[in-house]
Amino acid sequence: MRKTVAAFAVAICMLAGVAGSDHARSQAEGWREIAWPFPRDGWPAGRAFRCGSESCGGEIEIYVRPKAGFCNCETGVTDDEEVDRVADLDMISPRFVAREPGGVIKVAGMPGRIRAYDLDMADGARHSAVGIAVSRRCDVLVAVAQGEGAASGVQRTALEFLATADMTQWMISAMGG
Amino acid sequence: MKRYVKPAVYLSISLAACGGAYAQQQVIGAPPESLNMKLVGSSDLQARSAYQPTIHHQGDRWIAYIGHHGGTDETPTPINPMTERAEPNGTSIVDVTDPAKPKYLAHIPGQEGKYEGGGAQMVRVCDGKTLPKADANAVYMLRTFGGEGHEIWNVANPAKPVLVSRIAGGLKDTHKNWWECDTGIAYLVSGAPDWRTRRMTQVYDLGDPANPVKIRDFGLPGQEPGSTGAVPTELHGPISTGPGGNRVYFGYGTNKGGFIQIVDREKLLSGPKEPTAENLRLPEVSRLAMSALNGAHTTFPMLGMPIAEFARDKDGKSRDIMMVVDEAILNECAEARQMVWFADVTVENRPMMISSFTVPEASGNFCQRGGRFGSHSSNESMAPVYYKKMTFIAFFNAGVRALDVRDPYHPTEVGYFIPSITAATDKRCVTVDGKERCKVAIQTNNVETDDRGYIYIVDRANTGMHILELTGPARAAAGLP
Repeated sequence: MRKTVAAFAVAICMLAGVAGSDHARSQAEGWREIAWPFPRDGWPAGRAFRCGSESCGGEIEIYVRPKAGFCNCETGVTDDEEVDRVADLDMISPRFVAREPGGVIKVAGMPGRIRAYDLDMADGARHSAVGIAVSRRCDVLVAVAQGEGAASGVQRTALEFLATADMTQWMISAMGG
Repeated sequence: MKRYVKPAVYLSISLAACGGAYAQQQVIGAPPESLNMKLVGSSDLQARSAYQPTIHHQGDRWIAYIGHHGGTDETPTPINPMTERAEPNGTSIVDVTDPAKPKYLAHIPGQEGKYEGGGAQMVRVCDGKTLPKADANAVYMLRTFGGEGHEIWNVANPAKPVLVSRIAGGLKDTHKNWWECDTGIAYLVSGAPDWRTRRMTQVYDLGDPANPVKIRDFGLPGQEPGSTGAVPTELHGPISTGPGGNRVYFGYGTNKGGFIQIVDREKLLSGPKEPTAENLRLPEVSRLAMSALNGAHTTFPMLGMPIAEFARDKDGKSRDIMMVVDEAILNECAEARQMVWFADVTVENRPMMISSFTVPEASGNFCQRGGRFGSHSSNESMAPVYYKKMTFIAFFNAGVRALDVRDPYHPTEVGYFIPSITAATDKRCVTVDGKERCKVAIQTNNVETDDRGYIYIVDRANTGMHILELTGPARAAAGLP
């Protein structure tokens, strides 16, 4: 288990490096914005994107939104259970199981945690998902990506997308600049 | 003192310079705004951000115990003038026997940390003579210690509190506890480290406060250790009707996805304690889901209320009513309105919302005044002076609002009081176009009443405690002389 966690942490650090890279792509190839697919809940809708199989090796969707005032102002996102609670996984399916302990990450300069899950979909299919929760002051920004492919692929593709200049700029703006 | 003068003074100067642009904002020196309520006395509470006030009748004295949030960025550990030491915000103890001249007796430091990351927000008080196995000469104060744990102090001499015991510890968070003074059973809002939520319930027997005995952990299926899938909204606080009523009313959510859970107290205390989904479900009588846009901070039961309009009806003359108060958490109306709801829970498995109350925003341009606007909490005293007749709602920058609830199907506001800001009142900021913009406004956070009918409101923005009384028609409506 320790090796798995260590490998996961290294992977996250590498991907976090991608997320913070000055050379990040300004546009996300293969991705297109789609309508927010979930019913209204306590927070305003966010933005949803889809990447087709031809570009991402398997269809992947990602949903991103801020949740104002939903984070411990002093400590930020500190444990995996908080990712379980806030990352909107339950909007996709209430039946999800974490694959392993999560790790720390930075997205758009904001610190938080990332965790991989298996999702049991309503149609009986099993999807991979990655939940991300990062914070700034008392607000949290959440993202959840899902796809039919391997969790590692969904995670890598999602983080590359979030690291694009357009998304980084939008996320910073959505969190109040 | 000097350190916490600055924000309000600077902002007042800049606001004055802006002229009419912020005409609705409060300014230092302006009188309080009120209707049918008047100020009797006040205490600055050493300019500490305040949460729960609890007023206790001890012998021939009346003592106010006030829980505090942690300090601010500018003043993390205010000076206690009585000890001349910098002390992390904790619990203020004030003699309010003469409400016109409150006398600050002691400050018990809390957990280090700022805002909700420190302090000792919650406080409840029971006499030793009513608890089953306690020292009959003692008076016990149960308080949170930041988010870490809970403590019990002997405050028989309120000027010299003595620590009796510490409970739990190593928690993720704490919040609004309930303590039955006749049985000693306490419902502690805690975040047990292995649970999937920051706030759930740890039930303790504190009948002997020196030797706390844990009964069980309780929460919603999905929050328990080892569970998977969606995690239900976290607990805010319970209120128990004790063995007589055999119900505990839990409020979940803060400003989102709230619901009321009605729990069979006996099954909760005596049922299987292992935190499995099945065992957690067992004591539940029913739930009332609220809109995803609102949470449940306070669930205040008013059972067996005769409804005048229904007096000639063959059935349903008397109703069991639950008042639910949401908590606004964002400054300057950056969320859905948080307000007060009344549910008819007479038929427990079919509870239904029947009415609501909010302060009209336009009556004070409250969204532009600064800080939070919306409800936070109600008084929780069930003393006859106001119970089932009048409730008081802390409404942040709209002060405290007095509601006539004798007809809970049509609650009516009969008074209000918005204290003046002072040099100690802290700023509240929002981000506009990437820049921080701050305003200063009263942030009435919590309210409690005593058996004499005085109303105590405390301020989250460091303005202290104001002691009020009803006047005019509101006083008459409450049946006070």
